[in-house]
Amino acid sequence: MITFKNVRKAYPNGTVALDGVNLEVEDGEFVFIVGHSGAGKTTMMKLLLREEKVTSGSIIVGDYNLSKMSSFRVPYYRRELGVVFQDFRLFPNKTVFENVAFAMRAVGTPAKVIKRRVPAILHTVNLADKHNCFPNQLSGGEQQRVALARALANNPKIIIADEPTGNIDPQMSLEIMNLLVKINKLGKTVIVVTHEKSLVDYYKQRVITIQDGHVADDHVGGMFE
Amino acid sequence: MRRYNLFYFIGQGFQGIFRNGVMSVASIAVLMSCLVVLGGFALLVYNIDVNLEEFGLMNEIVVFVDREAGEEDIQRIEAEIRALDNVASVKRTTKAEALESMKQQSEEYAHLYEDIDETNNPLTDSFTIVYEDNDRVVTLAYLLGQIDGVRKVNNRLDLAVTMSNFKSGVLLIFTWFLIILFVVSLFVIINTIKLSVFSRRSEISIMRYVGATSWFITLPFLFEGVIIGLVSSAAAYFVEMYFYYYIEGMVLSDLQMISIIPPAAIQMPMLWAFLAIGVLSGIIGSSISLGKYLKA
Repeated sequence: MITFKNVRKAYPNGTVALDGVNLEVEDGEFVFIVGHSGAGKTTMMKLLLREEKVTSGSIIVGDYNLSKMSSFRVPYYRRELGVVFQDFRLFPNKTVFENVAFAMRAVGTPAKVIKRRVPAILHTVNLADKHNCFPNQLSGGEQQRVALARALANNPKIIIADEPTGNIDPQMSLEIMNLLVKINKLGKTVIVVTHEKSLVDYYKQRVITIQDGHVADDHVGGMFE
Repeated sequence: MRRYNLFYFIGQGFQGIFRNGVMSVASIAVLMSCLVVLGGFALLVYNIDVNLEEFGLMNEIVVFVDREAGEEDIQRIEAEIRALDNVASVKRTTKAEALESMKQQSEEYAHLYEDIDETNNPLTDSFTIVYEDNDRVVTLAYLLGQIDGVRKVNNRLDLAVTMSNFKSGVLLIFTWFLIILFVVSLFVIINTIKLSVFSRRSEISIMRYVGATSWFITLPFLFEGVIIGLVSSAAAYFVEMYFYYYIEGMVLSDLQMISIIPPAAIQMPMLWAFLAIGVLSGIIGSSISLGKYLKA
C-alpha cells in the first residue's frame, strides 16, 4: 500500500509543489494521476521514486517510510518499483534483450536467471520475436513496450508510468494502456501519470486529480475533468 | 543470494577507457611521466646515500707533516696524534715509502722519477689515521690541524658535505615535484573519469531507477581509474629501468669513482612502489570524480 500523509514539498527557491496531500493506493490498484502542467504530478513522482524528500509529512510504500529512509536503503526500495518514461530511455546500442537484461544485471541477477527470465518478460509485452532488434529498428509503441519489459524485469510490486503514451500514436497508446491493464491484472499496482483525457475517460479507473499542489479530486471510475 | 561479477566491472572499466580514448591516453602519459620523474629522483637520492655511506665507511684522515720536520718532530707529532680522542689507529708512511708507492702506481711514467732520490724527494712523511666516530670527525680534523709541524690535513669531509648538501637540495626539489606532479596526475585522472561518467549519464540514471546500488554504479569507474594507474605504472617502470641501465653503463665505463646501485637490487621495490602509487592515484582520482554518485 502507498500512503501519503499530509505531504508538503517546497523547493529551495520557495516554490511549493505539493501541500497537504493525503491519499492511499491499495496493493493491486490501477490509478491515473492527472493534472495540468505545474500542478505537482512530476513532484509526486519524484517523491515516490525517492529522487526528492518530503519537506513535511510522510510517504509510506509497503515497508518503506520514504521520509525516514537512509540513502543506503534507497536502491533496495527502488527494486520494488518499475518505472516507464515518456521518452523510453532505452540504450540505442543494446538489443531489446540486452536492454531488459541490463536492469536485471544492475541488481546482481545471475546470468542464467537473466537468460531464462528475459524471454518470458518479452513474451508478456508481445515482443518475443524482436529480442535481437535495436531500438531504432522498432516503432515508438514497440520501444515503449521494451521500456515496460525493462520495468517488469526485476518483478516489482509497483509500476509507475510517467506519460507513457506521450510520444506514440493513438493506436499504439491503446496497446500500451492495454498492456498496463494486463500487468495490473497480474497483481501489480499501476500508477499512470498522464495528460491524455481520452485514455483516462476510456479506461474508467481510479483518477486522482492534482491541482495547484493539492488533491482536487479522487474518484474510482472517474473522468479527466 | 545475488552476487556481482568482478569481470563485469573490469570489462566496464576497460570499456570506459576505450570510450574516452584520447583522455585515457593523456592520463596514462601524464601519470607515467610523473612516476618516471619521481622514480628518477628517488634513485638519485638512494644512490647519493650509498655513496655517502661509502665515504663514511673509509673513516680515514691523512696528515702530512712539514717538509722541514726532522725525525724528532715526526715522532712528537705521532705521539700527539695517538693521544687525541677518537683515534683508532695511526700508520706512518715515510717520504721514501711514499715515493716508492708513487713509482709503483705509475710505472708508465717511471722516467719522471728517474732523477728523484732520497736527497731531492719532494714528498713528506704522512700519517694515515683511522678514527672511531664519524660524528666527531670535524673536531678531530681541527685538532690535527692544530698540531705543530702538521702541514696539511686531508679528509673527505668537504666532499661529504657537498654531497650531503646536494642530497638535501635534491630532496627538496623531489618533495615539491612529488606534490605538484601528484596533483597534476590527479587532476587529469579526475577529468578523464568525469568525461566517462558524463558519457554514461543516461546509463547511470537507468541503473539508479532499477535499484542498482551506488557501488554497482561507481565500481566500473573505480576500475577505470585503477586500470589507468596500473598501465601508467607498468609503462613508467620499463622507461625508468631503461634509463637506469643506460646510466649504469655510463657510470661503469666513465665514472668509476662513483658507486651505482645494481639495477637488479632496485627492480622489484621500484615496480611495487610504482604500482602502489599508480593504483592509489587511480582510486583517489576516481573517488573524487564520483563523490556525488556515491549518494542515492
